[in-house]
Amino acid sequence: MRFDLTVNGDPYRREAAPDVTLLSFLRDVLGLTGTKWGCMTGDCGACTVLLDGEPVVSCLQLAQQVRGRAVTTVEGLEREGELGAVQAAFVSNGAAQCGFCTPGMIVAAEALLRRNPSPTEAEIREALSGNLCRCTGYNKIVDAVLEAAQAPAEAT
Amino acid sequence: MPELFVPESLDDAVAFLAAHVGSALPVAGGTDVLIDARVGRTSPEWLVDLTLLRSLADTQLAGEVLRLGALATIRSLELDPELARRAAALVEAARVLGSVQIRTMATVGGNLCHATPSAEMPPALLVHDAVAEVAGPGGERSLPLGELFAGPGRTTLDPGELLTAVSLRVPAASAGSCYLRQTVRWSMDLAGVGVAASVEVDGTTVTRARIALGAVAPVPLLVAAAADAVVGTECSAADAEEAGARAAAACSPITDARGTAEYRRQVVAVLVPRALHISWLRATGSWPAGVPAPINGVLPRDAA
Repeated sequence: MRFDLTVNGDPYRREAAPDVTLLSFLRDVLGLTGTKWGCMTGDCGACTVLLDGEPVVSCLQLAQQVRGRAVTTVEGLEREGELGAVQAAFVSNGAAQCGFCTPGMIVAAEALLRRNPSPTEAEIREALSGNLCRCTGYNKIVDAVLEAAQAPAEAT
Repeated sequence: MPELFVPESLDDAVAFLAAHVGSALPVAGGTDVLIDARVGRTSPEWLVDLTLLRSLADTQLAGEVLRLGALATIRSLELDPELARRAAALVEAARVLGSVQIRTMATVGGNLCHATPSAEMPPALLVHDAVAEVAGPGGERSLPLGELFAGPGRTTLDPGELLTAVSLRVPAASAGSCYLRQTVRWSMDLAGVGVAASVEVDGTTVTRARIALGAVAPVPLLVAAAADAVVGTECSAADAEEAGARAAAACSPITDARGTAEYRRQVVAVLVPRALHISWLRATGSWPAGVPAPINGVLPRDAA
């Protein structure tokens, strides 16, 4: 079934089999491989994307269910070729070890900061509790989000 | 994996489900249904995608009656400031379910109809005397929420029936509620024990109370005998502990990875008094409006 959706601001009209997840659609149809294939049970958060601005796990979202809606992936967080504030803070804080959880962490953190521009450390840890880092590099991740929260608001 | 049917009306959804009994499952947020199908716990030929039925997502608070559409997301409850003041148990149950991502996708109707014994929503809704509204091939009907649950993963809905909403009473004043739970992790975990309480007061005397338990029986339990222990009292520590003892006696927990049966029973006896105390503080205006309780109900020394 053919359906419309918007990904990172670009409109698409595509087909997807009924069992294709948004995760597979983003990676295999659109070639957006920043979103990671992790547990496929919604537990690890590596596949987190924004759907109409709110964070979801794309492994449990059927692509066809996204008809008419707007998806933002980690690739969509850059601004005119520059890293977004959360992305830049992850780089400057060394908030990645193997890097596999990083896109999901960044997208989840972006969702938090859009709703709560100056979160406490506890609020950050709670907001990221659905994102697992198996390298256990959580402290630098939290540091990065705290730094991003203090960065000047981006022009939108 | 199954085919997808996308009804554009509730009538279409019900007709399709009724015509495909045993081979079609409704799906909304997908956080349980897709996992079940993927790991082989279910093998539907059809999934009926409810996401176009936007009217089922409406939440309305009119006077003392709150009506939650079956497609209302758990996240929408968590972020509702009016609910936080009026029906704190619902917000506290919502905010500990899964993760932000799961709560953004998961729906009230899905959490109820998946009928997981440890689900968060049932106890929080049961203490508000929630009524389930159902549409089916024979028309619409409603039933007390407690009658929806048949056993782990099973509801009493007839073939082809669909839960459309739950409605409940949330008094504007002199009432308070609370949901507490015990888990190994504080996020992304199922309840080892879930406890909800609600009380209404006249002055400081309890005139009505409800206690509901999750994860300690095949279905969520509303324990009238436990609630009766505090009606007519000022919810003293001794009264609340009696309620906890009665609740512990009424449940029938199992031993699994999240705790032994005996441990769970003892946790019930501990969490019920805490949930009652917090509910009573809220009902008597002694708890800051809109502020959630600690997940396990342990209060700072100066607030107790």
